[in-house]
Amino acid sequence: MKVSIDADRCQGHTLCNMAAPEIFGLRDEDGHAYVLVAEVEGALLAAARRGASTCPEQAIIITEE
Amino acid sequence: MGTENRIVVDFDQHSAEYRDRYPELSHELRGKCPVTWSENHGGYWVVTGLEEAGEFLRHPELLSALKDITGTGNGYDGIQIPNTSPQVTAGFLEMDPPEQLDFRRVLNPYMSPAAIERWEPLVRDFTRACITDVIESGSVDFVDDIANIVPAVVTMAMLGLPLADWEIYCEPAHASIYTKPDSPDLPRVQEQTMRMVMQLAGCIAQARLHPRPGIMKALIDADINGAPLRDDGILGTVFLVIGGGFDTTTALTANSLNWLFHHPDERQRLRTEPELLGTATEEFLRYFSPSQGDARTVTRDCEIGGYSFAERDRILLSFGMTNRDPAVFDEPDELRLDRFPNRHSAFGLGNHRCIGSNIARMQFKAILSETLARIPDYEVLIEGIERYESIGVINGYKHLPATFPPGQRDGEGLAATLVRWQAELDAGAAAASMINDQEQAQR
Repeated sequence: MKVSIDADRCQGHTLCNMAAPEIFGLRDEDGHAYVLVAEVEGALLAAARRGASTCPEQAIIITEE
Repeated sequence: MGTENRIVVDFDQHSAEYRDRYPELSHELRGKCPVTWSENHGGYWVVTGLEEAGEFLRHPELLSALKDITGTGNGYDGIQIPNTSPQVTAGFLEMDPPEQLDFRRVLNPYMSPAAIERWEPLVRDFTRACITDVIESGSVDFVDDIANIVPAVVTMAMLGLPLADWEIYCEPAHASIYTKPDSPDLPRVQEQTMRMVMQLAGCIAQARLHPRPGIMKALIDADINGAPLRDDGILGTVFLVIGGGFDTTTALTANSLNWLFHHPDERQRLRTEPELLGTATEEFLRYFSPSQGDARTVTRDCEIGGYSFAERDRILLSFGMTNRDPAVFDEPDELRLDRFPNRHSAFGLGNHRCIGSNIARMQFKAILSETLARIPDYEVLIEGIERYESIGVINGYKHLPATFPPGQRDGEGLAATLVRWQAELDAGAAAASMINDQEQAQR
């Protein structure tokens, strides 16, 4: 599965990073999120889903390749 | 839904009823429709559904935050309903993109999680100093003695203003938030607010001559494609940083300390399981929603998410109420320290999402943990509790008095801590200025 962030939607709430720091990093300049690991399976996929579930802007997209 | 079939409710976020039972009101309104119409304050839409609020706020081109204080533009009223401060803007919070983003980009480097780490020692020192000043007495007003002080001092530090000046702005900053629109005291409070704005204008003029590192200098120095930021926008933004910095974290801290008094088992749990502090902070934010909501003005007849709006319609995005939406939150009126996921709207949604959210969280966690460590067994004096007259803007407290078993004074109090930190920041500023001079000399 593939994780991505809709940069137009992300507003830097940082909740994804709190939920899954192994998948989502935060940019130093504005605190907006970026994906550290884009291809995820198993435990990493579960972590990515945790991050996506807590995003107030619903900016995290998890898709089949 | 046009004017012909809109659902009219008798609603006023400044009312005593709202203050006393806004969660229940949120369910009543949402039960009728997630978007209802109130005839009060000239008429406005009230959004209580979280998905609806999120969808609406993804359209800043249709929902404007702009406030036209000169009356020479479109006459929009900004983010408050009613507009009780027609002569002052809340800086870029009452601007639209692209200009709003110009200001935001200047502030972002001071507000990111990476940038705010440096302030944590200051927050902890000042919290301990505030507690030290009351520890022997066994009596504290959590608002006056701690929660009003620490966020205010940090805000001064971040702006690059003298730390001791926190006290000048404290009363005006809080009064401008909690005074009801129909209060006989409003003219006095408005005048006091204007005096504060004039004083800040003086500080900005001073900073142009003698710049100190911080947000104020960054706003003055900003270069937007060769042009500076406009002066009234800089003034409004400094005013916004003070308002946002002073009142919101204070409100979150007071609400949480009061709730933890009434739930001693949860207070104990938070002390013994400090790893809960992360989810607990988000849950306190959701449950108490320090910033209760912001308004927008519709820029043209349009339809968003199935709802029809007319040009100049006013819309209140009630974050206090969207945070109790059962479509998103399981048992929304239960405070669960370990709630997850928690995609709350306490910091707003969309392009105006609170820029200070990271400093707010850091401060709240530090203040709460220092307080619980030093005075774990406090008893709130319930008869002394005084909430804001209106919580329509900020869900805050004027007073939250408590008693506790007195302790031994250790370390320095507030006055000495102000002197020590000011010296430290001044030394840092002098060093930064020296490096700057050397760099310029080498060019």
